[in-house]
Amino acid sequence: MSEIITIYFERVVEYWPNLLTSLNETGIMMGFATAAAILLGLPLGTLLYLTDEDKPLQNKFVYHTANVLVNIVRSFPFLLLVIAMQPLIREIYGRATGDPVAASFPLMVIAIALYARFVQQSLLDVPKGVVETAQALGASVFQLVYRFLFVEARSSLIIGFSTAFVSFISYSTIMGVVGGGGIGDFAIRYGYQRYETDIMYTAIIIIIIFVQIAQWFGLWLARKIDKR
Amino acid sequence: MIALTNVVKEFKGDDGPVKALNGITVHIEQSETFGIIGESGSGKSTLLRMINALETPDHGEIVVDGNNVSSLSAKALRLYRKKIGMIFQQFNLLNNKTVIENIMLPLKLHHFESALDIDEVLEFVGLSDKKNNYPSQLSGGQKQRVGIARALITNPKILLCDEPTSALDEKTTDEIVQVLKRAHKVYGMTIVVVTHELNVIKQLCDRTLVLEKGNVIDTIDIKPSSSTVSEESYYERILEVLKNE
Repeated sequence: MSEIITIYFERVVEYWPNLLTSLNETGIMMGFATAAAILLGLPLGTLLYLTDEDKPLQNKFVYHTANVLVNIVRSFPFLLLVIAMQPLIREIYGRATGDPVAASFPLMVIAIALYARFVQQSLLDVPKGVVETAQALGASVFQLVYRFLFVEARSSLIIGFSTAFVSFISYSTIMGVVGGGGIGDFAIRYGYQRYETDIMYTAIIIIIIFVQIAQWFGLWLARKIDKR
Repeated sequence: MIALTNVVKEFKGDDGPVKALNGITVHIEQSETFGIIGESGSGKSTLLRMINALETPDHGEIVVDGNNVSSLSAKALRLYRKKIGMIFQQFNLLNNKTVIENIMLPLKLHHFESALDIDEVLEFVGLSDKKNNYPSQLSGGQKQRVGIARALITNPKILLCDEPTSALDEKTTDEIVQVLKRAHKVYGMTIVVVTHELNVIKQLCDRTLVLEKGNVIDTIDIKPSSSTVSEESYYERILEVLKNE
């Protein structure tokens, strides 16, 4: 028994540098996805909320356009989205395969669409009285968003983000198909293609631990700042 | 001060349009405490919301302090609304902000020339010791005091009260009415109160409009109430109402 464990550890040590490289690639992809979700997904979700019927910036054209775009991205089978985006990525970034930055483009697109939906949902849950009060106080639309909606929805926005983040991890695991690397690609290469099952399970366990930490941290933070 | 002339408002109902307000004309004087009373669905809240343009009339004219409310641009409307305080049935506080942050909120949105001092307002509504609490830690009456303080801090010329005591029990209602009465005495603003509670109108208002199904059926001058608020405890009130005749 102890011999098996020793062999296992020796193998893990042997693969450690490759594992670290994969984790680094996952980190790059998650970083881009997170930045896109916050910098573009949050405003897009807010726009969806604001331009909806009976909302402060009601605008059928903007709402329906944004809504359809989000739906298209979210209903696209992700693997096909990755492949369909290849020419565009090549145009923008110079190369479409073989590195995690190129692989981040489709992740960013899905991150924006996914988080925008979560944001829209969170804002719709804010009580109507909050919006009414902002209007009665003569708040501008920017003040309504920044001083009222985001304040009251902040816990829900964070829970939505941690849920979306877990999905990004899941999406990132298929990036091996375009040479993006990452921990998911590592598991497939060693476990599936080379039958090194122990190494594959090690990688999967690492992914599971990451997901647990992300979800736990999101819920913890959301609860901590929820004074409702 | 506030003049509504021939105001009509229709809402879409399941069986065609429903007239919420059917040609209402009202004049409210400066510094008056004016009541609007009626049953549920009488249109009284809609009428109140016309004054700060949370609702817009289908026909008719609303002139407040020389402003024709329906013709204001978006920016002018925001500057107009900042001069009008409003308190709500459900208090409408930000639950993720402390008492003091809630009260100071209007000052973060606009610059006010004659804003009151925060300590003065806290003292006035009796919440000095609760200023760092969150709304979830307060009782209903305390929450409404925060709502009143948030309206008072801007020192508004007009205070609109939309069912201010309908979510509160009898004793707390009396307390809130007293706070509003004192506010009127000290700061002298025009107060418009919508409620279905006759006692609130009787204690607080000089004059009241009676609405029924979107029509004015009467305007009543209220005799100054001789009976002040009972100092009895809730238990004493229970005994009085339930046990004795």
